[in-house]
Amino acid sequence: MNCTSARATFPALLDHRTTATEHLEARTHLASCPDCQREFAELSRTLTALDTMPAPTPSPRLRQNFYAMLEEEKNSAASVRVAAERDRRVRRISLWGWVLSPLAAAALVALGFHVGQRQAPPAAAPAPSSEVAAMRNELKELRQLVGISILQQQRGPVSSRLQEVLAAAKSDQPTEKTLTDLVNALAFDPSVNVRLRALEALFPHAENKLVSDGVLTALPREQDPLVLVELIDFLAASGNRDAAPELEKMTQNEAIDRSVRDAARRALAQL
Amino acid sequence: MDSAAEQRSDHALMLAVRDGELDALGELFERHHAPLFGFLAKFTGDRAAAEDIAQTVFQRMLKYRHTYRDDGRFTAWMYHLARRCAADHFRRAHAAPHATDPADLQDHADDTPHAAQHASKRDDHALLHTALARLDRDDREVLLLARFQELSFAEIAGILECSVGAAKVRAHRALRELRDIYFKLQKEPLS
Repeated sequence: MNCTSARATFPALLDHRTTATEHLEARTHLASCPDCQREFAELSRTLTALDTMPAPTPSPRLRQNFYAMLEEEKNSAASVRVAAERDRRVRRISLWGWVLSPLAAAALVALGFHVGQRQAPPAAAPAPSSEVAAMRNELKELRQLVGISILQQQRGPVSSRLQEVLAAAKSDQPTEKTLTDLVNALAFDPSVNVRLRALEALFPHAENKLVSDGVLTALPREQDPLVLVELIDFLAASGNRDAAPELEKMTQNEAIDRSVRDAARRALAQL
Repeated sequence: MDSAAEQRSDHALMLAVRDGELDALGELFERHHAPLFGFLAKFTGDRAAAEDIAQTVFQRMLKYRHTYRDDGRFTAWMYHLARRCAADHFRRAHAAPHATDPADLQDHADDTPHAAQHASKRDDHALLHTALARLDRDDREVLLLARFQELSFAEIAGILECSVGAAKVRAHRALRELRDIYFKLQKEPLS
C-alpha cells in the first residue's frame, strides 16, 4: 500500500467506531512510514483538542422560553380543537334550525289561533296593563333573539366576522349599535376567537350599562373555559358587583374547568 | 420525569408529539437541548444566537410535527432543522461568524489551584475556537456533525443532502483544513 491509499483510510482510523481489526493493510503501512505517521499524529492531535473543548452550556433562559412556547402551543391547539368542534356542532344545529324553525313557528301560530278561537270569551275583560307590558317585553326579547339567530345563520365565515369585530374595536367612540353588535357577537357567535376579540373590544367601554349588562348576561351562557376566564377577568377588572352571585355559583360547581373556578375565586376576592 | 417517559425512545416520543401529545416534546428538549446548543454555539461562534436558534429549532419541531416520518430518526431530523435555522440566521446576519468571543474565554477561565497547569490547555481551546471560526462554514458544519453528535455518515449525508462518500470526503477535508489553521496559529507569535 502506498501513502495516498493509506491516507485515504485515515478518517476511518480516526473514527472511534472503527474496530482494531479493520484496515490492517493501512495500519501496517502507517507503522513503517514516518511521513504518514506525522500526518496521522497531527490529525489525531487536532481531533483530541476538538474533543476536549469545553461544551458550552445554555443559560436558563432557553429552558424558560421553551416551556413558555410549549404551553402557548398547547393552549392554542386546545382552543383550535374546541373551536372546530363547536363550529361543527353549531353548523349541525343551524341546519336543523333552518328546517324546523319555520315549521315550528307555523304550528305555534295555528295552535294559538285555534285555542284563542275556542277558549276566549266573546267579550273578554281587558288584561291589566302591567301584564300587557310584560308580554310586550317578552315578545320584543323573543324577536331580538330570533333576529340574532337568523343573523348568525346568514353570517359569513369566521374570518369576515372577526374583521367586523376588529373594525368595531377600532372606533374610539362607538355608537350604541356598534356596542350592541359586539355584545351580540360575545353572546352568540360560535367562534371562540370572535367572542374573545369582541370581549377585548368591549373592555374600554366596561362602564357603559349596555356593555356591563351584556357581559354579565353572557357569563352563564358561555361554555368555553378560555372565554369564561376572560369574561370573569373582565367583570373583576370593571368592578361589576352584580356578577358576585354567578361567580359564587361557579366556584361551587365541580363540573366547571378548574382554571375557571380559580378565576372566579380570584374575581370574588377582588370584588 | 416519570419512568414511562424515560423508557420511551426519542422516536417514540416524537411520534407521540406528532399525534398530539405535546408534553412529550418536553422530554425530548431535556435530552437534546444541551448537545444541540453546543453544536450551534461552536457552529455560529455566538452563544446568544445559538440560544435563539435552538429555541427556533424546537418551535419548528412543534410547527412541522406532522412531517415527522414513521421511519425517521429524531436526532437526524433535529439537526436537519437546526441546519436550516442556522442558515436563516447567517442569511439575516449577512456576516461570517466572528472569531473567539472574549466572553467565552471568561466562561472557560479556571480558578482552581491547578490553574497554572491548565493554562496551556486553555490557550489550546482558545486557538481551536479561533481555528474553527476561520474554517469555511460548510467545513465547520460537517466536522461538528461528524465529531460531536453521534451521527452515522449515512445520517450526516441525509442532513447535508449528499452521498455518504461525499460526506466522508468533506469531513476529512474539513479536519485537514482545521489542522492546518490550528497548527499555523500555534506557530504565530503572541500579540
